[in-house]
Amino acid sequence: MMKTFAVRNLKLCTKDCLCLYVCPSGATDTENSIIDISKCTGCGVCADACPSGAISMVPWFYPPQQPKKDSVCDALNAMAQSKMDAEKSALQISSSTNKDGLARLMKAVAKSERLIAEDIMREAGYMLPQSHNTHVLLDNLIKNPPEGFPVEAAEKLLAMLPDNEL
Amino acid sequence: MRYICMICGYVYDDAKEKVPFESLPASWKCPLCGAAKSDFKPEAKPAQKTAPAPASTKAAPLPTAQIDAPAHKDSDLKKLSPGQLSALCSNLARGCEKQYKPEEAGLFRELADYFASVTPAIDDASVENIAALLWSDIDNYSGLRSAADEASDRGAARVCVWGERVTRMLSSLVIRYLNEGEALLADTNIWVCTVCGFVFIGDEAPELCPVCKVPAWKFEKIEGGK
Repeated sequence: MMKTFAVRNLKLCTKDCLCLYVCPSGATDTENSIIDISKCTGCGVCADACPSGAISMVPWFYPPQQPKKDSVCDALNAMAQSKMDAEKSALQISSSTNKDGLARLMKAVAKSERLIAEDIMREAGYMLPQSHNTHVLLDNLIKNPPEGFPVEAAEKLLAMLPDNEL
Repeated sequence: MRYICMICGYVYDDAKEKVPFESLPASWKCPLCGAAKSDFKPEAKPAQKTAPAPASTKAAPLPTAQIDAPAHKDSDLKKLSPGQLSALCSNLARGCEKQYKPEEAGLFRELADYFASVTPAIDDASVENIAALLWSDIDNYSGLRSAADEASDRGAARVCVWGERVTRMLSSLVIRYLNEGEALLADTNIWVCTVCGFVFIGDEAPELCPVCKVPAWKFEKIEGGK
């Protein structure tokens, strides 16, 4: 069994407060509605009791992501590039036009293309922030940072997200 | 004859409707997702049903040794452009959000913003060129889908299903804008599904996303102004 802790989705929470009654450690009863994971024992009773399905049990450690073939990654990366070219064009048009409809449509196109590209990169070997791929990428960026790259942010990420494939 | 919306799968069945599909005006829209009439295609007859991967592809999975190939080599960084790296990092930021890791999400967003800021400007940015780009993407999805199917990669296949539908919708809307101009968007709202990117024009967001089926509250209204 994976060791887990409880998290509450505030958008779904209907404040029935059953989690407060059933929690054996008081982790669910907090002034900001965020479950105190330092107290959570991972028993899952709150998630079972919640009538609105707002509480999920999430693992402390994630399993390795699925391996990807280079042929698939290459094809996905090419599509992502096209999507990001469209995003850039749309943002340029949106910020330079004085037509309200066009500005909004181009913002929508940019947002949509970004979401598609994100989904593509997720399937192209970057599903998990804790993956080995992510670590290699961050490590390379820290060792050979392009001009102006926020090295400190990348270093913090490496320290906060241990490689789950080691 | 039955006609299928290529974006949301809505079926227009001549046998059940008063007006045959061919007689509908060009301005007619899909009642479910708002796609143009030209985004419908006649339902393929069972015999020639879009010729999906023949049974043989499924029966012969690739040897495990090939599937285990590492997704990326260490030299990979050189191959990814600032745009791709920006999408990669904002994707990981969303991954952190889903794992309830707000601080990590913020750091990945910082990296994504950096790569967005160093992405070179597009010289000939125009609505016409975006329309052409979308059109070539629609074309290229079939090759992407073949690569995914050959590798039995169903996650990559899913990306093709959602991505192609949303791309068709974007293409449809951009072409309509080129034809109708500002009138298309006057006094109405534009909504983007924050999960799959589907774009909808209307006063309110649809109850369910026609592409990925999430509820209305997952849609974001696009505001005007800079």
